[in-house]
Amino acid sequence: MLKLLFADIKMMLRNRQALFWMLMFPLMFTFIFGFFFGKNTTAGTIAVINQSQTELAQKVETSIKDSGLFVISDEKNVETAKSLIKKNKLSNVVVIPESFGIFAPDSAKKIVVYFDPGNSQANATLTGFIDQILTGINFSVQKATPIYTVSQENVGSSNALSYFDFVLAGILGLALMNSSIMGIAIGMTKYRQDQILKRITTTPVKTWWFIFGEVASRLMLNIVQISIILIIGKYVFDAHIYGNLFIIYIMAMLGAILFQLIGFSIASFAKTTEAAEGMATAITIPMMFLGGVFFPIDSLPKWLYSAVQFLPLAPLLRIMRSVILEGNSPFVNPINITLLLSWIVICALISIFRFRLTEE
Amino acid sequence: MKKVIEIKNLVKKYGTLTAVAGISFDVRKGEIFGLLGENGAGKTTTLEMIEGLRKPTSGNITILGTDISTGITDKVKRQIGVQLQASAYYQFLNLKEILELFGGFYNIEIDAMKLLSSVGLENKAKSLIKALSGGQKQRFSIVASLVNDPEIVFLDEPTTGLDPLARRRLWELIANIKSQGKTVILTTHYMEEAEVLCDRIAIMEKGKILTMGDTHKLIEKTKNPYRISFYSTKIGTKTEATLSKLGNLVNLLGKSNHFEMKFATQTNLNKALLIIQKATPESLIVGRASLEDLFIELTGKAMGEKNA
Repeated sequence: MLKLLFADIKMMLRNRQALFWMLMFPLMFTFIFGFFFGKNTTAGTIAVINQSQTELAQKVETSIKDSGLFVISDEKNVETAKSLIKKNKLSNVVVIPESFGIFAPDSAKKIVVYFDPGNSQANATLTGFIDQILTGINFSVQKATPIYTVSQENVGSSNALSYFDFVLAGILGLALMNSSIMGIAIGMTKYRQDQILKRITTTPVKTWWFIFGEVASRLMLNIVQISIILIIGKYVFDAHIYGNLFIIYIMAMLGAILFQLIGFSIASFAKTTEAAEGMATAITIPMMFLGGVFFPIDSLPKWLYSAVQFLPLAPLLRIMRSVILEGNSPFVNPINITLLLSWIVICALISIFRFRLTEE
Repeated sequence: MKKVIEIKNLVKKYGTLTAVAGISFDVRKGEIFGLLGENGAGKTTTLEMIEGLRKPTSGNITILGTDISTGITDKVKRQIGVQLQASAYYQFLNLKEILELFGGFYNIEIDAMKLLSSVGLENKAKSLIKALSGGQKQRFSIVASLVNDPEIVFLDEPTTGLDPLARRRLWELIANIKSQGKTVILTTHYMEEAEVLCDRIAIMEKGKILTMGDTHKLIEKTKNPYRISFYSTKIGTKTEATLSKLGNLVNLLGKSNHFEMKFATQTNLNKALLIIQKATPESLIVGRASLEDLFIELTGKAMGEKNA
């Protein structure tokens, strides 16, 4: 029955809608978030105009330039630079005044930062950074050592992580969810509507073989799908993957099976492909945001969080992040894996009792 | 003649609605058997019960000696070929791939090209279904029901919605299936089609069989087997009255000079012909009754008319 499997794969590769949900949609997010938060990303483009010749001014200038936080423009004229902010070509202009760093009572003591109110992120990063440099300088000038400091300790893991790493795991879940729910819900409803499923029941092929072909071919393409996302994430945007790849794939397959079962459940109730698409969208879009693809759902209001933490996508993403970002075992938090398996059982029961190949 | 299908007291109920109300008939080996009737008469339900797609409420179905009343067996599935009404096929596989996949469903190797050329679709082997015309789709749908070289072929309204030429081409194809020794059961609501193709027919209405038998014998059994159709501008009310005594005279719908007459005996036909010839008709056709006349006689209405 490999014929059926190959035919299923062939059909999916020729189906533009399926390919969109399978590859284009998640890759779109990977690239968007990669460009914003992946490697080589900076807070903005700034101009550093140093009008002072002092050693101190040089030190501040090179610190900013070498920080790697900003793209540095070589604009040297203050007025032109300020006009470039208005044209959105620059986010900030740092001006180090002429007498900065000369130890005299009337010398300039302030570094001026011109900013674009539309880019508060760049401004916060820049002022914070300059503040830090100046604090260091102040201490050394006063020959003092700081007494109270902040010590940051990550309780999750000692791994270096970025927001992109967080989102990439989310995008994996998103990709699995969209392609599986949309694919099965719409595909199965269309098969039934077109009477293909009815036609097949007149042949000796077993129903479970037919279902197996659909499920297995999709899982095989899911492997390709998440591989592409992981490869692009890692090699194009420097994502960090600390977990065991085998476990990552096993968990992804569990997720894919769950979402396919949700697809079958939808196809059990939907009479037309339009209805199936509507129901699938109504489930996937809210879950995309409330399941925690793009931001941690524990920052939601408590009443909302206490509900959405149980959505099918939520425990899957918690497991994926724990495995990928911290290299944990999926069983480190048994509640998550229990939730995931419970959803699989629930949706399997709905599918078994409600899903029919034909109208009767 | 050997019976390949035997139906006894077949009933199908959906809640309070009775779709098939206790029908019995046999289908003989090598014939084309037609189930006729309006939409909703119960033709498709009957066919789908025989195909194993619907479970009968009561009654018996035996196919090639196997009783399938309680469920169809794989053995029978291999002996029958099914074409569903308005069925679509995989939209992302080409014709050759679909046939090969269906061969796979029966676990047999098939020569897809040979099958396709048997219905004149060899040039479309690499096309997708959506690139086919209505007639080509139906021909493909029929050839798809032949992949397992079945003994019995079920065709549910194979020519509905086709233009006259495509329909005739399909008739040839169906006759060709019969000539290979296969038995064909088809449903149709085209009387002309049944008259041309079917060896025997059963006319259904409201889940019951009104009449059944050899097609040509049934037509002869109509009350008025003779017919004249003529066009003349010189038929006055007096002539009309004379003619009406010989047979059933009607004006064709909306045409005042175009008449049609039906007669119970050939004597009356001859008498009427003499009268009509005096009126120098521009057109005069003498013919026999058709299956449609029988149907109208039996059901009291023309095909497609709504229940009054």
